[in-house]
Amino acid sequence: MKFILSRLGFYLLAFVTAVTINFFLPRMMPGDPIKSFLGRLAMNGGQITPETISALEALYGYSTSTPLWQQFFQYLGSVLAGDWGMSTRFFQPVFEVLGRGMLWTLLLVGTYLIVSYTLTTLLGIYVAWKRGTWTDSVITVGSVVVSSIPSVVMALVMYFIFASNLGWFPTSYAYHPSLDPAFSGEFIGSVAYHLVLPLLCMVALGMGNVMGMRSNMINQLGEDFIVMGWAKGVRDRKVMLHYGARNAILPMITSFAMSVGAIFGGSLIIEIIFNYPGLGQVMFQAMLARDYPLIQGYLLIMTMMVLGANFIADCLLFVLDPRLRTQLD
Amino acid sequence: MEGLMKTLLRNIKQFMLDNPKAFIGIVIVLSVCLLCLMAPLLTEYAASARVGRPHQAPGGDHLLGTTRMGRDVWAQVLYGGRISLMVGFVAGTFVILMAMIVGIASGYFGGLVDNVLSLLTNLVMVIPSLPLMLVLAAFLDQVSPLVIAIIIGATSWPWGARVLRSQTLAIRNRDFVHAAEVMGESKKRMLFAEIMPNMMSILASSFIGTVIYAIMTQATLEFIGLGDPLSVTWGGMLYNADQTSAMRIGAWWEIVAPSVALASVAIGLALINFSIDEISNPKLKAQRIMAKFRREQNKAAKQQAAAPLTNAEQAS
Repeated sequence: MKFILSRLGFYLLAFVTAVTINFFLPRMMPGDPIKSFLGRLAMNGGQITPETISALEALYGYSTSTPLWQQFFQYLGSVLAGDWGMSTRFFQPVFEVLGRGMLWTLLLVGTYLIVSYTLTTLLGIYVAWKRGTWTDSVITVGSVVVSSIPSVVMALVMYFIFASNLGWFPTSYAYHPSLDPAFSGEFIGSVAYHLVLPLLCMVALGMGNVMGMRSNMINQLGEDFIVMGWAKGVRDRKVMLHYGARNAILPMITSFAMSVGAIFGGSLIIEIIFNYPGLGQVMFQAMLARDYPLIQGYLLIMTMMVLGANFIADCLLFVLDPRLRTQLD
Repeated sequence: MEGLMKTLLRNIKQFMLDNPKAFIGIVIVLSVCLLCLMAPLLTEYAASARVGRPHQAPGGDHLLGTTRMGRDVWAQVLYGGRISLMVGFVAGTFVILMAMIVGIASGYFGGLVDNVLSLLTNLVMVIPSLPLMLVLAAFLDQVSPLVIAIIIGATSWPWGARVLRSQTLAIRNRDFVHAAEVMGESKKRMLFAEIMPNMMSILASSFIGTVIYAIMTQATLEFIGLGDPLSVTWGGMLYNADQTSAMRIGAWWEIVAPSVALASVAIGLALINFSIDEISNPKLKAQRIMAKFRREQNKAAKQQAAAPLTNAEQAS
């Protein structure tokens, strides 16, 4: 319990840090969002009145009259209350815009996590078991090579070959635009069909985990309790899964927690290239329009998702590793 | 002199046989670096000048064709590589220095220093780096390659710091460090002469890992359109090609050239890293040698098993 509480305290601190960064960055940077907005407005022949400026200040939560610390607490309060400002690109509350994209990102990243971690863990176990053979060399070197290809390159190449040229997969959207969201076979099929290529791309990029699992497993297989298992006459399969893999899987969960930020980041470029309407796509639109409230909201929501994933990983470790429980009691 | 050359060649050959992956990786990375360094010798064109008609196919005057702006793709790949690689190495150096300072200090000194530095490391680690970079880059507006390198460096050091910290902790409690302490060695000597040499492989592999990450991230940031439009880089080439819908009008060379360059550097570096892992963790490599040994043993056993049978057959 104490363990969980201390982790929760840390997550709160991390979230406040992200909010602080979000608050101070725009104020430290040379480019002032209000000035840049006014500049664009003036360029397009818009009228600038004192009311425009005060409206913009309200929109961005900026003000030259109130002191900085007061602004900070105001910002913190409104963030916690779910008021993340207005998107200047979509003319909707940031929270709503992000919520729409979040659904698809969670679908993509969630399926990716399940598929990729199942696949790489099993492959890692298998390859460590068959270490030194041809299968081992082919799979390990193959996964290193595939996973080291930059995600932009991988996504572009897959997009142009399979979606754009061959036309096997759709080139944009998360489901066919003629369909209405409904709990029907047709709709779910369409969603799955649109998910395949981005998912394949992400799974290929995540193949590096095979290496991690393989070396964990090989380290475990050198331990005495494995020899003991064999000496007792336990079947190979059981030694492999219950003796070796059971322990080798623990560092994988830690590494998952450490890399979850990179996974969400990786989905960004995939979504942009495959025109998948997730958070990455929203972010891309926001970047093009220099929609600062939305860009800041994106950092916040990403931090929240990473913290959530970390919490899940903590709980999983707690359940899977009995040593952690006894150590703390 | 000749003898020296011979031993050198023999050593290289031995290294090649022992670590084929590392050798292939080194060859790839070195050749890309050399090509980029010798850019003025390999192409007569400047990277950002109009030197031909738009979208000329590869071959003829332009080895890899031209872009929509009539720029030579081969020249762009070579000159762009200089900047892309430079950013990778600068960011990698920055990250490894930061990780070394934070990681080794917190592992070595322990106590309050460790608590503060570990908290800092964990905080930076859970704040997702790519979104943070995007926010930074968005407020800075279009950023030069050097600024991209600094942003990548400033947001990506915690991983290495955490690995180095746990490694320092592990080494710090070894007998030889205690012995050095008892002998009254200075702290500086203990850090740099006792602990550091034992971490060379981890330092090397996290340096290479960061270089790969930095090159990839730079390409990503530039592809999103955050790069400086005036400097030619691989990521910028991809961005330009995508913006001018090069693929739709069949100008595949514009996408393929920087893609191949990026992928080959990343794969080369990853292969080197793979071998460093194998060398520093002998368990991983020993398995390969053991497997060979076991195969031969099995073969011998089978032959032996087969031999008496043939004798018996002859007898009957």
